[in-house]
Amino acid sequence: MPRAIRGVLIECEPAIKSIIVHLDSKNNDFIIEDLDEQHLVIKENMVFLLKQKLEERLKETYRPEEPLADSD
Amino acid sequence: MSVGTQSYQLSDYLEKLPGTTFRKLYQQPPTTFAIFRRMLPPLAKRFVNALLYMPDPLPLSDLDIWVKAEGKLQRDRALSILRSLHIVQITPPGKDRVQEMQLTSNFKKSYRMVLEGGGDEQWFGVPSDLPVDPAIDIPFLDRYARKKWEDILHYVVSSVGVGDTSTGSGPKTSVKDLLLAGHLVERRVGSQGGISITQAGFTFLLQEANAQVWTLLLLWLEAADHANDPGMDSIDMLSFLFMLASLGLGQAYDTDALTEPRKNMLPSLVDFGLIYIPRDTRQYFPTRLATTLTSTASPLRSVAAGFAAATANTSGDISSLGATPGSEPEQQKGSVVVETNYRLYAYTSSPLQIAVLALFTQLNMRFSGMVSGRLTRDSIRRAISYGITADQIVSYLAAHAHEQMARTAAAAGRPVLPPTVVDQLRLWQLENERMRTTGGFLFKDFDTPQDYAAVSGYAEEIGVLVWKSDRKQMFFASKHEQLRDYLKSRKKAE
Repeated sequence: MPRAIRGVLIECEPAIKSIIVHLDSKNNDFIIEDLDEQHLVIKENMVFLLKQKLEERLKETYRPEEPLADSD
Repeated sequence: MSVGTQSYQLSDYLEKLPGTTFRKLYQQPPTTFAIFRRMLPPLAKRFVNALLYMPDPLPLSDLDIWVKAEGKLQRDRALSILRSLHIVQITPPGKDRVQEMQLTSNFKKSYRMVLEGGGDEQWFGVPSDLPVDPAIDIPFLDRYARKKWEDILHYVVSSVGVGDTSTGSGPKTSVKDLLLAGHLVERRVGSQGGISITQAGFTFLLQEANAQVWTLLLLWLEAADHANDPGMDSIDMLSFLFMLASLGLGQAYDTDALTEPRKNMLPSLVDFGLIYIPRDTRQYFPTRLATTLTSTASPLRSVAAGFAAATANTSGDISSLGATPGSEPEQQKGSVVVETNYRLYAYTSSPLQIAVLALFTQLNMRFSGMVSGRLTRDSIRRAISYGITADQIVSYLAAHAHEQMARTAAAAGRPVLPPTVVDQLRLWQLENERMRTTGGFLFKDFDTPQDYAAVSGYAEEIGVLVWKSDRKQMFFASKHEQLRDYLKSRKKAE
């Protein structure tokens, strides 16, 4: 008997996906189904939290150029 | 401004109206005049003028004599516009009859009246015979209209702006409600005053003033339609707007000559800045916002040009009808300089323009007549979180670039904005779109490959399939109700 599971499909780059998988590995509380390189289904109520966590992670890895001192 | 959409919004609104509405609209001579002026391409205008005094319908084939063969495309476009606005009637093709075209009777009658006069002279407003306050002259009305309109624009931006609340009263609640209903701003928790700008709102800001006025007026008409208030008939409202558009700037008109529903419209029009009513008089003065509604001249000049004029302290002296379409961008003086190092300087002291810049710039310093800041990753990302797109920011900066930027760019044959900055703005936007999310249902655990193929095929057919993997025998659909029914019916059939 086929099943239908409510969730949110995430489409992203493989690099982002691996971060999501890593975030999930602690408690397994995000991912419902790992589909392929660029697709995941996650729990509906966790989307916001996931976005937040992802943002935090990206902040660690991304160094925005330091603003030049506005001396002029 | 290049981003303005001109009259398309009005045409969108008109296109949706049924033929009976047009027949009513065309009973009013000012409406036919306004439609003719504003909505018709030159070729369509020539057709109307040629048909106007023709006693009999014109065989459609005769048009081929008027229009050269290579102009067929324009001819067909003109005809389709004339038909969609219910200005001409074309008989359906028949076997032994030639197709004929003629003007619809109401349009013909009213438009002839525009040209020849006669009928009820009140069509074009009744000038007031009461003494006029000499202080109310054209510069006064221009200042008044600009103030009113800037209040509205400022309300749209100030929701997220630099917290400059010193700029005055702001628009009336009714206007605010319209902006909310039109999704130009939306209520959002945590922003100043509880509202913030939307993408549509930013598009609105980028429009040329005339298109902005129409956007607001059409929202108003739609609101009246929804309210179903017997005193507010949207057809009559539209006719009244067209009438206002044909009035003379600086002239006082008699409010007593207006019908009761139209009198009731006056307070709203005052709120929009389309008319000015002095205290305790029975007079109203249309402002440039109203008199340029159906012409191609700009009511305030574009936002930037308006500011340039305001800061230069010149009074509005362009004739409302004299300006030719397309001459506007050349007159406009930009004020924004963007450097390759993301620094931004704007030679302006207008609170409105500063507020707009503050939407996507980290402003650091403010001098009299100039602000400076930087485009940073954070400031752009904040703008994007309001729904403003990188392309909108780029087109705003390009449209408001300082003439010096345009000059050096033209001399060197380069684009006006530094390409590095433009690319970076787009990259910053992409960064934010790392993840695309779609809510829905994952279908899995099918009993047989045939089941999977049939259901996923059906999902694709009804357009709910988002993703599928034949190898894994799974698919993701945005809705499940129809699929559930389909599964059930398959079950029964077995």
